[in-house]
Amino acid sequence: MGRLIRHLRSRWLALLPLFAVIGPGIVTATVDNDAGGITTYSLCGAQFGTKLLWTLVPTTLALVVAQEMCSRMGVVTRKGLADLIRENFGVRTTFLLLLGLLIANLGTTCAEFSGIAASCELFHIPKYVAVPLAALGVWWLVLRGTYRGVEKVFLLATVFYGAYIVSGLLGHLPWRHLLVETIRPQIEPSYAYVAMFVGVVGTTIAPWMQFYLQAAVVDKGLTAKDYRYSRLDVMLGYALTMTVAFFVIATCSKFLHEHQPPIRIETAKEAALALEPVARGYSKSLFGFGLFVSSLFGATVLPLSTTFCICEGIGWERGVDRNFREAPEFYTLYTAMIVIGALVAVWPHAPLVPIMYWSQVLNGAMLPPLLILMLLLINRPEIMGGWVNSLALTAVAWLTSIVLILLSVILLIGLAFPWTS
Amino acid sequence: MVFFAEAYLAGLVREMVYDPSGQRLGRIEDVFVRPNPRSMYPLVSKIAVRLSEGGRTVLIPWQQVRSASYEGFRLATDLERAVAALADEDVSVRQRLLDRQIIDVSGKRVVRVHDLKFGGVGHEVLLTHVDIGWRGILRRLNWEHFTLGVCRLLHVRFPERLIAWEHVQMPSDGEEIHVDASREVLRKMPPEDLADIVEKLSVPERASFLGGIDDEVAAEALQEMEPEAQVSVVQELSNEQASDIIEEMEPDAGADLLADLPESRADAILDLMEPEEAADLRELMSHSEDSAGGLMTVEYVAVPQGITAAEALERVRVEAQDIGTVYYVYVVGAEGELKGVFSLKELVCAAPDTLVEALMATEVHRVELDTPQDDIAHIVAHYDLLAVPVVDRENHLRGIVTMDDAIDQAIPTSWKKRIPKAFGR
Repeated sequence: MGRLIRHLRSRWLALLPLFAVIGPGIVTATVDNDAGGITTYSLCGAQFGTKLLWTLVPTTLALVVAQEMCSRMGVVTRKGLADLIRENFGVRTTFLLLLGLLIANLGTTCAEFSGIAASCELFHIPKYVAVPLAALGVWWLVLRGTYRGVEKVFLLATVFYGAYIVSGLLGHLPWRHLLVETIRPQIEPSYAYVAMFVGVVGTTIAPWMQFYLQAAVVDKGLTAKDYRYSRLDVMLGYALTMTVAFFVIATCSKFLHEHQPPIRIETAKEAALALEPVARGYSKSLFGFGLFVSSLFGATVLPLSTTFCICEGIGWERGVDRNFREAPEFYTLYTAMIVIGALVAVWPHAPLVPIMYWSQVLNGAMLPPLLILMLLLINRPEIMGGWVNSLALTAVAWLTSIVLILLSVILLIGLAFPWTS
Repeated sequence: MVFFAEAYLAGLVREMVYDPSGQRLGRIEDVFVRPNPRSMYPLVSKIAVRLSEGGRTVLIPWQQVRSASYEGFRLATDLERAVAALADEDVSVRQRLLDRQIIDVSGKRVVRVHDLKFGGVGHEVLLTHVDIGWRGILRRLNWEHFTLGVCRLLHVRFPERLIAWEHVQMPSDGEEIHVDASREVLRKMPPEDLADIVEKLSVPERASFLGGIDDEVAAEALQEMEPEAQVSVVQELSNEQASDIIEEMEPDAGADLLADLPESRADAILDLMEPEEAADLRELMSHSEDSAGGLMTVEYVAVPQGITAAEALERVRVEAQDIGTVYYVYVVGAEGELKGVFSLKELVCAAPDTLVEALMATEVHRVELDTPQDDIAHIVAHYDLLAVPVVDRENHLRGIVTMDDAIDQAIPTSWKKRIPKAFGR
């Protein structure tokens, strides 16, 4: 018995470095399933059933490739992505990129707060109470807690995403069919299909995530020798995230798409409402709760990460451990993002759908240039030393970027010339 | 000769370069500076010109420029004769300064360089300021004129934010840079401020920065930093650098830092120190961090019994030179056992021929090596002590815990910052 315990203990101790390193990847991956993400997956399942389930696999792979590059740049250079871009590509590139990031993320922040509003209304809490409280809570949590504390709260909260998995498990999903669909690509030659594909990819691989992950890795003080664990952290995060996405799509597919007649939905809130009569009573509450948690995370992380990397790129003092007098730009920008996001969410007849839509488009448009900059950076030996991409990884990364660029272009063409669709 | 009085890098890199016959050669791409023997402002030594024909970039020494104004630069000789090779002391401002972070020594902060300002003095051009404001960014984006025009219409002032070169310190990624003017200012800066600055740099920059300044200054700055930051910096230094700096730290702080390092690394660093100091540090490291043994420092003044106040004062004068702070003088027996204590004030006020036994208080508040921090904090606060002696089981004096270390963890960090540093630490 004693030997067994000793053996187990030594096994656990071998994992200890992982626990010290874990966090940035999982948190980024978790926040990836924000209000926009959950909405897109719900719509995807409701409209196309399991036809797009296969896209989760290549999307996850592409995402891991991108995020792995960021975490590697973080541990090797110990500098943020905005910092590296500024030092290597100058003011003009940085300025445009950060401006785009600010606008896109401001739109997404509005979406997060309206996600909070919608999910609270499911539980009969008026949004005029819920949204201001959430905004204040988010603002307070980040400014008055240290980042480490915030990260722990996030890590703990990833458990709440289990809500989606539970609601899927309660729904007796057709497992064999789902697994086959996950590995069998089905392509439908329609614009709606391509647009939804781009939507899934766009909401999953957002530009802010690259900035956030690298900043979190640097902030945590990880170095090249933690790299293996850091990579594991990234992979673990996405395995988790994609499981959640899988369950959302599968649940919505079974109960909305396959319902006779099929139920059409426009938002994640409608998905939750529609699930009530067709599925068991739990699904509505679980979906509503999941939406609330994911929106709250998004609302916490997005304004903070946006402000942080803008300050980093421009060169302003930043970080929650500075006070207002030391870092006025940081606090002003951060507070403004939250206030605007919350205001738009409660504003009567605010054009929420266009705001969310255009911020997703902007995100999609920014992704290709950002990926190209990242590839250029990570292949520079003077920055990365011996940690430049291997040939195989470079090929995969370029392939990913080219596919993403093509998809973004298709999406942009569809937006610019709506009659083509 | 026509030379400009002042110019910005953003403007210079758009300038055309012509040969003596007026033939256009190409556009300025970069400017190189080198240390100036006559002043603290670096001299422009070379310009990099990207040739219109062939797209090659060549370096041209500043002496070969006959006239320079906003109408373009004209060379004194043909291109072939003007071209030179890069010298070791030449520093590329675009690679090393522009868009990089620098330390603003006067403002005690780390800022990003948006643009650089040059000033012409006779035939020489000096690097005088770095631009850290919005105007620098707008100038780079070509929007400065437009924005200034709008501001003029609105009667709003839009001042530049410049830092004079003498207040600029460049954090290098390893190699030494010889155009820094501000090392002297850094040496005189309070260690708390220096630590604030260092903590804003990236970890590799912190290490090369601390490795580049005096060990004594680096040690003071290092011990003001958070424990985790200390470890990350030391992990970047060589064993020799680390041992030199830690030797200069206060022993209790040095021991805490070493205890946080991986064991093999700590041993390697200790092996490079004077045997005596290494032994002291090992002793301090062997105690738990929040007990008296871990909190104490071995820097204190002890005198033997049987000497006079004048002799004791002389000993304090000699021994206190290497010690951070002295509040009390301890009287010890032949074996080092604690007999009594008197304060520095009592010693100074005593008649020179008084024996220390007559001067000392024999009721000494003391703690043992394993006394937990909370109890020490209580004793220090209750008896209004500035330091409390630490003894082992046989009552031998082993060190002292100063008040600041004793109360360090008993009060939250945010409070500590509000407590004035009364004791010159």
